[in-house]
Amino acid sequence: MRINFLNRTRSSDSSRLPLIYGAGSLLVLLILWTLSTSVLGWIDPMTLPSPAEVVARFGNLIVEPFSGSTLAGHVGASLYRWALGVGAAVLLGVPVGILFAWLPGFRAVFNPIFEVLRYIPPFAWVPIAILWFGASTATQAMVVFIAAFPACVINAQLGVQQVDPILVRAARVLGAGQGAMLRRVVVPVAAPAIFTGLRIAISNGWMALVGAELVVGKVGLGFLISQGQNNDSVSTIFVGIIAIGSLGVIIDTLLQRSETVLLPWRKPRAQRDG
Amino acid sequence: MQNQQSTPKLELRNITKWFGPKDTGVCAVDNCSLAVQKGEFICVVGPSGCGKSTLMTVGAGLEQPTEGEILVDGKPAGPPGPQRSVVFQKFALFPSETVAQNIKFGLQMCGVDAKEQERRLVEQLKIMKLEQFRDAYPSELSGGMQQRVAIARSLVMQPEILLMDEPFGALDAQTRTILQEEVQRLHREHHYTVLFITHSVEEAVYLGDRVIVMSRRPGRIKKEISLPRDVVWKRGDIEVAAEHPDFIAARREIWALVREEIIAQ
Ligand SMILES: Nc1ncnc2c1ncn2[C@@H]1O[C@H](COP(=O)(O)OP(=O)(O)OP(=O)(O)O)[C@@H](O)[C@H]1O
Ligand SMILES: [Mg+2]
Repeated sequence: MRINFLNRTRSSDSSRLPLIYGAGSLLVLLILWTLSTSVLGWIDPMTLPSPAEVVARFGNLIVEPFSGSTLAGHVGASLYRWALGVGAAVLLGVPVGILFAWLPGFRAVFNPIFEVLRYIPPFAWVPIAILWFGASTATQAMVVFIAAFPACVINAQLGVQQVDPILVRAARVLGAGQGAMLRRVVVPVAAPAIFTGLRIAISNGWMALVGAELVVGKVGLGFLISQGQNNDSVSTIFVGIIAIGSLGVIIDTLLQRSETVLLPWRKPRAQRDG
Repeated sequence: MQNQQSTPKLELRNITKWFGPKDTGVCAVDNCSLAVQKGEFICVVGPSGCGKSTLMTVGAGLEQPTEGEILVDGKPAGPPGPQRSVVFQKFALFPSETVAQNIKFGLQMCGVDAKEQERRLVEQLKIMKLEQFRDAYPSELSGGMQQRVAIARSLVMQPEILLMDEPFGALDAQTRTILQEEVQRLHREHHYTVLFITHSVEEAVYLGDRVIVMSRRPGRIKKEISLPRDVVWKRGDIEVAAEHPDFIAARREIWALVREEIIAQ
């Protein structure tokens, strides 16, 4: 009996189970939404539009510009700013985190600055960003950067700190210098933690971006929502919200996929020796 | 004893090692001297925590001794490097690299050209019976296979001195027996100079030309026992060797010494 049980949990059937449950719960939510709005009319359409309305608005936004851009335009603008901000945060934050863990002197000098800056909420930077860059792409990208940077640093640092010192010793005995040690041993071993940092950075950056777009700018998903509010178009707001959530999930899924491709050694293939 | 006239391959001279500040920290090794002649296989045994690993780490150059010096061929040994290769108890394979990449690592660090790297890799895979696992990652291998890779990674450097810290301590008994026999064979064929740390008195008697018994912490050298070298019973399997009267006598003598230290702890 016990053996059967163990086999079952390993079969591919059960690995798909969470997916089925997840889809099921989304479906139930959709049904409840439909029932309470279009079918039973419990909720006033100005409070919560029906799914049909949202879908219709979605189709409409794809073809017709709203507040200056089509939906694709708003999505594109948001993704671009987000990519700039997150890209800069990763390119700068990961090396800083690695050096924090690798060079105690570097950490001693820069960590206090980092700690103070990290407790300032990204939105506190919006006024200064507007002052510096005006209502431009750079403003939102800077807010994204500030929201994404700490997670990159902290997780890269943690990842490097967790590398077993014996690996470093083994590399030293084999004649590796600092550079080779970092490149071939320390960074690859820390990579899963770095990836975790990227996932957090990406979602933090995405959330901060939408916030920044609500207050500044003339295009983007946050701007779309605020325009929906100004025009009393609840369905526009809902299209914007759902687009934000879905894009977040898509980006995160892509990153998780790339992790399995980029770090093939993490998932043992079938055991090849008895 | 006639060995001791020549310059030792590796010599630890009056090594003392404190962790933390002297006198208030931990004294792990206290004034230990030991010389390994070229081609000699030395085993160090002693109670747990007596400073065996510390002695080896210092010998490898991975830690600085508080006092004393390390000599290779009579000259002060520099920083750690492939000439004093180390095999660790926990294998210490690079998890993101395949077996082949792990074994080539040191060759690449020393700038050996690609063709020679490949030649030595293939030779080493054959010696350690790892041919099938060339492209496997460490996480796909059993403990015994991982330790074979770690040994191959050391041997491929053609080290002058091989330092091994309880290399079989983390393995199951069957795998350990096989690897002990293999190390015995390697040493007989290639005359490596080996400093081998172990918990196991049997292992020390089977492998060692000399066995050094350390005292409880702070580790001092309690006694050195020379064993017959290249005798018939050492050529066979360890179970067969273990039945030989000389083996039994040596094991009894060494175990009594270790036991004294454990009991006194
Ligand atoms: N980096 C360190 N800092 C402080 N104390 C240490 C350090 N390394 C070892 N020690 C202490 O030194 C003593 C000797 O340790 P060592 O690891 O050399 O013993 P060992 O004989 O190898 O033990 P085992 O048989 O368990 O492997 C121990 O008491 C240990 O706690
Ligand atoms: Mg030890």
